[in-house]
Amino acid sequence: MEESVGAEGLEFKWGKKKGVGGKKKDVQFYESFTYDGDEYRLYDCVFVGDATEPDFAEPFVGMIIKIWDHTNKRANILGQVKLLWFFKPSEILPYLEGVPDVLPNELFLASGEGRGLANTNRLEAIGGKCSVLYISKEKRNPLPSDEEIKSTDFVFRRAFDVGSCKVVDMIDDKIAGVDVKFLLNRAGCEKQATAGQKIEADINGNSDSLKPNGPSASGSVKRIEDNSTESSDWKESSYGCKQEKGKGHNQLATKKSTLVEEMSYKDSSVQEGTTHNVHDSCEASGSRGNHCDGKAQESEVKKHFTKQRSMPAEERYSNSCEASGSRVNHSSFKKAQVNDVKTQLTKQKSMPAEERYRKESNGLDDRPQKKQKLDGYVTAPDGRHTTVLQNISSDGKRDTVSFKRPKDREEREQVPPEKASFIKKRDPGMSVSEGKDTKSATEKGLSKKPSFDGKLVNRAEDKILADDNERNYQVIEVSRRPDAGKSTWFRNLPWEEESMRDAEKRETLVLLQNLDPTYTSDEVEDIVYSALNEQCEARMMERTLVTTSHIGEALVIFKTREVAERVIRRVDEGCLLLSNGRPLVAAFAKITPPGKPSSFSGHIKLHKTQTRREIRDAVATSHCSQSNTLEFDMAMEWCLHRARHQHVTEKISKRQLEERNLLRINFKPKRP
Amino acid sequence: MANPEEVAYEKFLEKVRRTVYIDELTPLATKPVIESAFNQFGTVENVCFLPNYLGPKELPLSVLVQMQTEDMAKEVISTVTQFPFMVAGMPRPVRASAGELEMFDNRPKKPGRKIRCRWMDRNDPDFDKAKKMKRLVRKHSAETSFMLKKQLEEAEKLSKQQAETAITHHKKYEMMDKLLYDGVAQKLADRYNMRSFPHR
Repeated sequence: MEESVGAEGLEFKWGKKKGVGGKKKDVQFYESFTYDGDEYRLYDCVFVGDATEPDFAEPFVGMIIKIWDHTNKRANILGQVKLLWFFKPSEILPYLEGVPDVLPNELFLASGEGRGLANTNRLEAIGGKCSVLYISKEKRNPLPSDEEIKSTDFVFRRAFDVGSCKVVDMIDDKIAGVDVKFLLNRAGCEKQATAGQKIEADINGNSDSLKPNGPSASGSVKRIEDNSTESSDWKESSYGCKQEKGKGHNQLATKKSTLVEEMSYKDSSVQEGTTHNVHDSCEASGSRGNHCDGKAQESEVKKHFTKQRSMPAEERYSNSCEASGSRVNHSSFKKAQVNDVKTQLTKQKSMPAEERYRKESNGLDDRPQKKQKLDGYVTAPDGRHTTVLQNISSDGKRDTVSFKRPKDREEREQVPPEKASFIKKRDPGMSVSEGKDTKSATEKGLSKKPSFDGKLVNRAEDKILADDNERNYQVIEVSRRPDAGKSTWFRNLPWEEESMRDAEKRETLVLLQNLDPTYTSDEVEDIVYSALNEQCEARMMERTLVTTSHIGEALVIFKTREVAERVIRRVDEGCLLLSNGRPLVAAFAKITPPGKPSSFSGHIKLHKTQTRREIRDAVATSHCSQSNTLEFDMAMEWCLHRARHQHVTEKISKRQLEERNLLRINFKPKRP
Repeated sequence: MANPEEVAYEKFLEKVRRTVYIDELTPLATKPVIESAFNQFGTVENVCFLPNYLGPKELPLSVLVQMQTEDMAKEVISTVTQFPFMVAGMPRPVRASAGELEMFDNRPKKPGRKIRCRWMDRNDPDFDKAKKMKRLVRKHSAETSFMLKKQLEEAEKLSKQQAETAITHHKKYEMMDKLLYDGVAQKLADRYNMRSFPHR
């Protein structure tokens, strides 16, 4: 019963169904959908735009972790998706202090619990697919190939805990109720194998650190659900593993297969033990979901349960419990059901769930909430405190757990020492021409850059300036920004006058001078990205006959006033030399106020009575004047005026060029 | 053989060749006004207004007029340069010249061009030079804007002077018209025994 829904002319089609849920069974879950020619599946990464703020068109990146649609079409909504967010370094800038080696196209997976982990969006908000690769060298993750890394939009290897506002090296087993196996690299057959391996690793990891029946819960839950819903994901993954094994072309294959076997063995062994348990809780959560308040989201909980095997039932239950406000009940229930070793694990898991619930309950509006969060982080340096406070107020224990976790992980998973070099080697965002030295130096400069913090402006800037000096003689090859031109929906938006005026008011508008006049706006953006490592929106000014012919100018909008100030300071104090020996000049831009001048010198109105309307309607008033008229004489006077000025302009620009030539700088660095 | 980037660039160059840059237009000129003005020389395909974000407000309007063929563009340029051509007002004629690459805002990137840049060391022998150069750039743009201001002032002066002349002439003609119309000229001619041209 696959129906295609035509919405506003855009091609749209639902994919494979997954199950129904909701209070009146009016919510249909899907595994995929096709929108505007692209097929989106669960766990695909997408760009998400903020419809309410088109002027800052840097899309967010999120991963689809749930797709559903209301079958009773009372709301004119195409469908909804739940997105787990990725953070760009620029969004969490204040918390990157001391975080080493932030790659230009690195993202941070949202984890932990708090605002900004994940939320519900309308399908329309999705602006296109993007590829995000997990490049951590941990054992759960099959490393992507070099080509893959080069062609990907983004990479990620660390997570950002939205609760504690810390960057953590380890990705949790579960984020927002989604088993991490789905979040890791998946590509074709290898992808399936990965998933299998992942689960296995999951179980392994858990059994290492916790008692064996801790993880079994999640494992068996998956099993049970699988059996009952006949859903394909799990099977696919194990099938993929077998395929992999059969082929044996991968070195890892044998290892994987043994792992899979191990996993299934474990599963079956624990299954009996926990089946009953899980069933109970699953029912509980179901009924809970049913008679909790009539919000659509709430009813989803159950659906969600059947959909996403990865979520343990206990967590579900606790989620719904929390929704009904019985906190005590929740914890006691947990204690009763879960044995002590598991407590921590479930708590961790329940956090994303709670988070999700909170998100969903207020996340129905189409505007991606991430924007709000971003604002909070960027503008208020103490936003972190408030978040933490929030956590404490909602649950004291949770807080400590979230702090404990990263440490835990670190102990368990030693980051291999060659990681750093590995990443450097694969960094696609920045290609530097001269050998390894250059590369690492640039890298360092880049990674230090985001460590900017509101309070530490000066220190950070000094550091940056020092970096600039460190990097002297090193020629930076200007390359494409990693996200340039990838999403046709959000890139290449026309330069809007309104946003420019707005930027001027916010003092984020910068005028760059002394560019080569032949550069394009895109190239200017690339230069700013490569040399200054800032994202911006640039517009090259058109050269006309009245502007200086040898100085290319561009208007550039930066994200914040601080960034603009920093850029101006860096360009002013340091010296950024472009390839044809032009040092860049930057200053805050002052643009001409809008509106047209009331009169134009040169056109004479003989009749004062001439109205605007007449002027507007006077379309056919263009002509060549005859040589025996007064008009012609006057026109000649204008020609004289023009010729005189052309002459002056030529002279001045000739002199200016001579002056420039005197100061000619060779782009190739001289060694002192 | 040619990659799409080059093809797009070539296409763009072709577009540039049949585009005319028109300057010294009144800001009141609208797209239909310009289209009808230049349709006399051929077919106008597109009219693109160049924004004036940085110059003084009184700067005349400039547009890019894209003609259908290169010959039409040449025709426009030669006519407008040889004769004073006025659009939407008189007596200031417009100026035309061939379109250039840098006049387009949405120009494609030149294929195969690699831009490089580097931060200069403070100890670099050229560092001082670069500093001077930066100052020079600022000075030059200040010079240009000063010149522009002067030019605008002069234009305004010229315009005022011409307006005065025109209005004086206009008054003169109107007075003569009136004298002929109400018969005063006829009467005077009769008195002085002169031949006169009867009004109409």
